[in-house]
Amino acid sequence: MKPPRLLRWYPRAWRERYGEELLALIQDTLDDGRPTWRLRFGVIWAGLRERGHQARRTMVKRGDAYARWACIFIAGTIIANLPGDFKALPPPTRAWQYTVALWALIAAVVLTCAVVLADGMVAWPALVRFLRTGGWPKVRRRVTWAAAATGLAAGALAAVVLTVRSHPLTRLDTSLTYIVGLLGTAAALTVAVGLWAAAAGATARHLTLTPRVRAAQLVLNSLSWTAMLFLLSANLIWNSATQASVPWLLVGVSLLVLLSITAPRRIRGAVRQGRRVRARAAASRGR
Amino acid sequence: MAAKGLRRANDPPLLILVSLADGPKHGHALAKDIEDFAGVKLGPGALYGAITRLVESGLIEPLGSDDRRRPYRITPPGSAALATALADLRRITKAGLGRLGLDLA
Repeated sequence: MKPPRLLRWYPRAWRERYGEELLALIQDTLDDGRPTWRLRFGVIWAGLRERGHQARRTMVKRGDAYARWACIFIAGTIIANLPGDFKALPPPTRAWQYTVALWALIAAVVLTCAVVLADGMVAWPALVRFLRTGGWPKVRRRVTWAAAATGLAAGALAAVVLTVRSHPLTRLDTSLTYIVGLLGTAAALTVAVGLWAAAAGATARHLTLTPRVRAAQLVLNSLSWTAMLFLLSANLIWNSATQASVPWLLVGVSLLVLLSITAPRRIRGAVRQGRRVRARAAASRGR
Repeated sequence: MAAKGLRRANDPPLLILVSLADGPKHGHALAKDIEDFAGVKLGPGALYGAITRLVESGLIEPLGSDDRRRPYRITPPGSAALATALADLRRITKAGLGRLGLDLA
């Protein structure tokens, strides 16, 4: 097997980035001799490991994306259910749980809004600069789609509110039309949030952010993800109080426990990544 | 800052960072240098596997080059990770030698 053919064992992206360098190294190592079996197996083994590494990374990335979409959909379902939840009265034995969970929910909403707002505010000067220098046409289509989806979702939510106000809950709980409407509203909310996230991502790619802002955004992104999951668990616990549902309570508490374990790690990782961004920028300034 | 993979004295990432600590080098120069100072012969596959991981974690970076032999240099986070790993190794070495009744030369 000739050295260039050994590269077939590596993923394509890796070959394009490092292939020529690896071939040059093999040539230097061989010094015009033939590749030994030891060298061939070493390269093949490294190529297979690289493929495994890339497959694992892709799986984690995809899993992360699916988990985010699932969370947004669950959040959409929760928001669509809110009118009915507010109308339902908690059983007297669970009134304390209802009050505690409601305050936790309000705190989570305030926290999430504050973090998302702060995330946007740190990039505000760069966004203004981008728009002033004629950047709007570059993101107009995405923002228009997101705004249209938001209008649609708000309309669907208003219809749910009106339906809940004009019908008794006992009747709505057994109505297939109402359940389909709720799921449709949740889907519309999911699409709206997803399109705003895509529009924000596309806009961020055009912004010139300082290393300090990029580092701050890394931390704020991890905080906003944590706040959203906290919001989700607080809502599940609140739901369990209004519907006297033990499974919802267990799911909510489990999510809270999982969050308290994973969130510090995620935030510490973001802080470290932010430090690396600033150190790299400082080093390139020093050269 | 501790980095993943910098655990043993003969870890390829650690050897590469040590080699790059005194200046940029390309693949072949790295392999020769590592063989000289550590007596470890890294094959091309193992060497480039470690280089890939180090670039991904931002501990080393490639320098611009028109040649196929692209040099790499250590980054400030890479220097910090190397210093931490070497301090850990020194502590372990000191403890081990002390227990054997030997001195750290």
